[in-house]
Amino acid sequence: MSPVLPFRPKRPAWLAATAATAAVSVALGLGARWWRGWSPGDWWGLTFGTLAAVLMFLGALYAGRRRLLVPPLSTAQDWLQFHIYGSTLAGVFVLVHIGFAWPNGQFGWWLLGLTLWTVGSGLLGVLLQKWVPALVAAQLSVEVIYERIPEIVSQLQAEAARTMEGASDVLQRFYDAQVQPALAGLSPSWSYVLDAHRGRNERLAPFEHLRSFIGDDDRNRLADLQAIVAEKLEIEAHYSLQRALRLWPILHVPPALLLLAAIVLHVAEVWYF
Amino acid sequence: MDAEAGHHKPAHAAAEDATELSALRAYPFLKNLSETVLRKLRPNLVERYYSAGDAVLRAGEYSDAAFYLKDGILEVRVTAGAGRHAAPAAPNRAATASFGGGLQRSGVAADGTIIVADMPMDVSINRMVLLEPGELFGELNALARYAVSSDVIARTPAVCLAIRAPALRMLFKQKEVAEFKKQVDERYRVRTLGSHLRQVELFAELPGTAIERLRRTADIVSYEPGAVIVEQGAPADAFYLVRGGNVKVSIDAGGGKLAVTYLRKGEYAGETALLMNEPWPFSMQALEYVELIKIPRAEFEAAIRDHPPVERQLWETVVARLKERGHASRNPMVSQYLQMAMDTGLIHGESVLLIDLSTCTRCDDCVRACADTHGGTPRFVREGAKYQHWSIPVACYQCSDPVCLVGCPTGAITRALGTLEVTIDPGTCIGCGNCVKRCPWGNIIEVPFSSPTLNKNIDLATKCDLCVGRAAGPACVQMCPHGSATRISFKDLATVSQTLSS
Repeated sequence: MSPVLPFRPKRPAWLAATAATAAVSVALGLGARWWRGWSPGDWWGLTFGTLAAVLMFLGALYAGRRRLLVPPLSTAQDWLQFHIYGSTLAGVFVLVHIGFAWPNGQFGWWLLGLTLWTVGSGLLGVLLQKWVPALVAAQLSVEVIYERIPEIVSQLQAEAARTMEGASDVLQRFYDAQVQPALAGLSPSWSYVLDAHRGRNERLAPFEHLRSFIGDDDRNRLADLQAIVAEKLEIEAHYSLQRALRLWPILHVPPALLLLAAIVLHVAEVWYF
Repeated sequence: MDAEAGHHKPAHAAAEDATELSALRAYPFLKNLSETVLRKLRPNLVERYYSAGDAVLRAGEYSDAAFYLKDGILEVRVTAGAGRHAAPAAPNRAATASFGGGLQRSGVAADGTIIVADMPMDVSINRMVLLEPGELFGELNALARYAVSSDVIARTPAVCLAIRAPALRMLFKQKEVAEFKKQVDERYRVRTLGSHLRQVELFAELPGTAIERLRRTADIVSYEPGAVIVEQGAPADAFYLVRGGNVKVSIDAGGGKLAVTYLRKGEYAGETALLMNEPWPFSMQALEYVELIKIPRAEFEAAIRDHPPVERQLWETVVARLKERGHASRNPMVSQYLQMAMDTGLIHGESVLLIDLSTCTRCDDCVRACADTHGGTPRFVREGAKYQHWSIPVACYQCSDPVCLVGCPTGAITRALGTLEVTIDPGTCIGCGNCVKRCPWGNIIEVPFSSPTLNKNIDLATKCDLCVGRAAGPACVQMCPHGSATRISFKDLATVSQTLSS
């Protein structure tokens, strides 16, 4: 079962306001450029540049949301929504600010590159944060706390070893060749982001093949082992998906900090010259 | 005093010992019981010894035992306000004396006397009344889980037999103690039933004479967990008011039972069938030990015949109930949610934390926010039962009838009157673990704590307190960036089905 991602914005009014503001700004920028030309340093250019910088700095305050819960941003969810819509709008304002033209100079390219990267990685994060929980809810039956995953895998290994007590040689050989490697450690993979059941059937198929070659006692053991391996595969998928959610900010936060620093330099440069 | 009764003077607690069978036979209501029954009762019968000044019960606390005063003198004191909020006040002081007479709506008589349902006498505010050997008190607190209405203090060294709720219930089933059960029921009927009936919205406008008539004719019936109270299709013979426990209401559907709703303390059933002169349109089953007030059909009909406003309101209730049943029939998922809530005990929850796993990014901001609010130690764990895409974390449900309050030896666990939060005072908790063992859902956890009061390290009982005192409410909900954490009351079935089906 694949998750369905309904387009269900949490703040429809904010989305509408952002889209309308972006559309008006783009129309204004393009119209002014066509009408009288555009310079980032003229009144309109500076206005959009200033708005973009203010929104970016305000958006960055999301990191301090725990201490900044005041109306109208009185919940963390309000802050996150503001961070998303405000920063996206800031990206649009930057494009208007530069008049939809390529920047001049290396520093300008850095500023534009960092802006696009930060906004893009942020939107990728939004997508991931919507997709991964929906995927987990739709495809995985277990729920585990990320930090406890190694401990739970160790417990599964111990449980499998206990299950093998008194097993036949045939099953023991299967255990050594198939089960132990499947239970050993964790192999996170980004491919789980597309399919949380990736490779599951292939990895469980040997259990089905062996079933007809062993006695009743061993069949019960085999069923238990299969359940243990299936659970481990789910936990591995959980680990990969939760890891993706935890690693994604690396793509976003350091460039965002660099961008803020670059904006400060840019403003200083404008003031100075 | 023992660990349970001696809340306030643990250091000077009177000794308590396992009571021998022979000693138990010294009690008049136990003397005719067989040895087998006495052996079964014994774990829940405890003789307690009190020094002068010791508290047997404190107003506002919850108790799981009735007390039979064997020896000594006890004082009962009601301070202003206590009696009004704890066990319901009886409607009529005169009724206590004569088992009859006129009615007053307040539990405060004209002379300022408070009629407290859980004590065998009436008490004046800020004055005391004495209990003498042979008196039984507190049985309503134990059976119906009302907060204790008055302070009961030992005036002289005293001995009480604490009869815990399981023993009380078992006693009630023994024919040898029919008189004892009759005595307890009669006291409830005389002192409390009138005000219970008055609390039913349906009867709120009935004149005193009609309430009095219902009070005299009502039966008090009890059911074990799982017992069928009424079967769908059977002739409707009575109106039922829930006195304690939870009752499942279901309808037959496709060879099975479809849960429609559940009834809690104070809720009622039967009006539809009686009014429409039809058989029972649903079945009722006890989900736990349940006590009901049963009003016979003839009495119920007489009450509404003589009082048209009641009939009008009844019709409104009937329409609402029919809508509820129709909704359940058309939406089988609703029934599934109800069944889940009944199976898991969530029906007891006044504020249950739910996390929507289809939007939760497992960032743990909820846990961090909880820890920030509680000095670094979170009060819940983000794991627990899972239902569809909802996680029900290990966090206090703030139960309607919080069993953790019962038996806290120091009174560290409290629920302020009229609030949801059941809180544990770290300065008073001694780390005995009673509440941890009693919580049926495992929602109380122990954390190492250096107690300034005891001057030693203890395992402090901690639980979610809904961030009591925090203006913005529970931090877990406020700090969830994705709006995945929510709190709902399982009393509000519409919200339950709306939330779980989203």
